[in-house]
Amino acid sequence: MNKLFYKDTIAGLEVSYEQLLTDVTNETTYSLFCKSDSYYTVFKQIILSILIGQEIILLDADFSNDEIGKLLGEDFLKAEVTRTIEPLGKIKFSDIHERIQANKDSWRITLFTSGTTGLPKKISHTIDSISRFVKREDNRKDNIWGFAYNPTHMAGLQVFFQAFINQNAIIRLFGVDRTTIFDLINKYRITNLSATPTFYRFLLPADHVCDSVLNLTSGGERFDENTLHLMQQIFVNSKIRNVYASTEAGTLFASKGDVFTLKPEMFGVVKIIDNELYLHRSLMGESESLNLIDDWYATGDLIAVQTEVPLTFTFISRKTGMINTGGYKVNPTEVEDVIRTCNGVKDVYVYGKKNSLIGNIVCCEIVRSDDCLTEKKVREFLQFKLQEYKIPRMVTFVESLATTRTGKILRSQ
Amino acid sequence: MNKIREILNTVLENRGKPQINSISDSSDLRNDFGLDSLDLAELTVRIEAEYDVDIFQDGIVTTVGEILEKINNKK
Repeated sequence: MNKLFYKDTIAGLEVSYEQLLTDVTNETTYSLFCKSDSYYTVFKQIILSILIGQEIILLDADFSNDEIGKLLGEDFLKAEVTRTIEPLGKIKFSDIHERIQANKDSWRITLFTSGTTGLPKKISHTIDSISRFVKREDNRKDNIWGFAYNPTHMAGLQVFFQAFINQNAIIRLFGVDRTTIFDLINKYRITNLSATPTFYRFLLPADHVCDSVLNLTSGGERFDENTLHLMQQIFVNSKIRNVYASTEAGTLFASKGDVFTLKPEMFGVVKIIDNELYLHRSLMGESESLNLIDDWYATGDLIAVQTEVPLTFTFISRKTGMINTGGYKVNPTEVEDVIRTCNGVKDVYVYGKKNSLIGNIVCCEIVRSDDCLTEKKVREFLQFKLQEYKIPRMVTFVESLATTRTGKILRSQ
Repeated sequence: MNKIREILNTVLENRGKPQINSISDSSDLRNDFGLDSLDLAELTVRIEAEYDVDIFQDGIVTTVGEILEKINNKK
């Protein structure tokens, strides 16, 4: 049994399932928190946590200490969060499913998502809620996955679990240059690819053909018709579908093209009020910061109903002021709060400007109190305080901010 | 051409990537300068602010020459 588990050209790593199991079962420390640049380390820590039935809290590798301090409280930075464990000893891959079932009540995986107000929310999932769409089937055992997400985010976890549970190979494509992406897809004969529309648009123009990909999944933002059409020219043998997933609820719906259909098992746990999608609490991960109204969670996603029976719908936009940039959600309020602490900033307004490549690009307007403040200085200030994708890509200095009649900053651009 | 190089260097500097001294029509934005999706998006916004042209409106642009063509077509 020397099946490939993970290939990472950036880290120069190739690991078989045999090696993975050896590494995990020889581990002598368990860490509650997982924060690592190495995708392999993240995967190992998740698997170890499942095998010993302990919670794991995933933190993005590029979270700054300031951000972690805000998320978890200053105590975290000093806290004792690792402990010594007895190595697990030899485990066969075929035993893992049993272990997962045995530990399902004690295991939790916790991740963070941008909150609509103030701080990011902490969401915990059980094996059932995180793997709602994960299928373990014989005909999936030869699948090979292109990995095109951050491993500490919901979409990345979905791909990881789907691949791992079927003992499939995972080939890292995230952060890899375009030419190498095509080389890897063709060399490893990748069959399944799941990514954001931004990732797919980065592959254009359609001047390569990848005939090994049979299933292509898109999620995180709206997949425009033009990109969809061009993807079919590259991935000539592939079925293309969209998924709707959120950090709060995991994967919920899949669609062909733009139109999502509600499956029978979702009857009664999904409803629509004023075109907004509501989810029942039974679908949600556990969180103290979820605002539930009578057991229902307002997703902030606005949809258009196509047919009532069966219920089919398309996603239109976000109701909240969150900026979707390349599949990442950015809370402008969080970014504004940090920019306001920069010397020379009197006031700031962060907004998403529509962009044909990544959906929206984060920009800001700043009212200066010191004319020496430059875009470069603002960027240097933010570099170690915010994750890269949250940092405004363009700063404009203005005399005053555009405000609405009620005195609120005008959010739409 | 110099203005495009200046804009490219601003984008590269923002991401801590090495500056470029010369560009030509055939310079490839991704392969030669190592621009990723976010960098390309930033480049679009900066070029739009300067020339009022969305270079990615009709699909992806690969080289510096293609950017210049989009800008010249607008004029």
